Amino acid sequence: MSEQLDQVFGQLVNRSWARFSENLKAREIDDLLVGAVITAAVAQGNALIDLNSDGGHHYLRFQHLQHKHRLMFQLTHLTGDVASAKVLQHHAAVTIAYGEYVEDARTVWQALKSEVKSGFLDVGEPGVFTVDADLGTGYVYVQVPLLLDLDQYFADHYTVKYPVLQEHIAAVSQACAKYLHGRIAA
Amino acid sequence: MLSLINKFKNNAEARESKDEALIGEMVFTMAHLGCPVIGIKSGADLQYVRFKPVGDEVLYSFTIVLDRKTGDGALQQAVLGSKATLTFVAEVKNHIADPDDLVAMFRTDMANMLRSPWFGDIKLDHQLNSITATKKQIIDIDDYAGADGADRDRLRQLLQGTVQELREKVAPYKK
Repeated sequence: MSEQLDQVFGQLVNRSWARFSENLKAREIDDLLVGAVITAAVAQGNALIDLNSDGGHHYLRFQHLQHKHRLMFQLTHLTGDVASAKVLQHHAAVTIAYGEYVEDARTVWQALKSEVKSGFLDVGEPGVFTVDADLGTGYVYVQVPLLLDLDQYFADHYTVKYPVLQEHIAAVSQACAKYLHGRIAA
Repeated sequence: MLSLINKFKNNAEARESKDEALIGEMVFTMAHLGCPVIGIKSGADLQYVRFKPVGDEVLYSFTIVLDRKTGDGALQQAVLGSKATLTFVAEVKNHIADPDDLVAMFRTDMANMLRSPWFGDIKLDHQLNSITATKKQIIDIDDYAGADGADRDRLRQLLQGTVQELREKVAPYKK
């Protein structure tokens, strides 16, 4: 009887661990993506120059070592539990910004800042370019918010599809850079 | 829009971002060692990153905490360099469900560990179902944070060596 109860207890614990692991994997996928973004960016010749994270909201800033342009990422996991991940699939609100050093950032910013006053600025629509300037460092940024499916970046839970991730980062960077150059030239 | 820039401290000078650059290089190196990030927290001058040694039958996790001590200002940088304390923690987790096995483990392994928790500069600890080996090391960030080949090789050797060293200390306790 004692042996049988021990076995039953073992089964209960093992099943609990399976549930716990499922939940843990749902919660840590955004951390995996943050690590993957850092790895992908460093591999492309960028240095991480800012990292701010409370475990749920992640902010990353990189500077390209040779060309000096900057990339910023804001990642917020929107499906951090098993139920929402199963129903909605893992996805995150990701804002990517591309910035370049501009000689006369203050003048450029004065010309571009009208859109910050727009009433549509904070409605959270994806794919909308906005411009901002960090006058302390002379960088002008273009950012675009997106809602990204996270499963597309993983072959399995711990294996990242770096070519897909790097292509997506490059595509967004190029789009932002084109918009920035176009706005500065206009 | 404005909020994204405001989420960062204003690291106008490169020396103030050295610890972040080192964390970036560590994440890159650990990824190439088969250890992706599974936890990350970062604030002013203290960075915590937890890695998963994928496929390792002994280690459940490996954590690095970087605590920057000097080098924020130009004077400190010139006199002292950019010193930081790295804390490495290797964790073994035992999923034991048999109460007899648990009691036996506490009587033997844990009792031995608590009698002599230090192996040189490595400290062993036991909390609930986790056994950890912790090592602290003071480094000069400038020796490791560059993206050139020499710094990356040094960093790779440091991380690979430390993972292996701590793994050997906790391996006997894996059930």
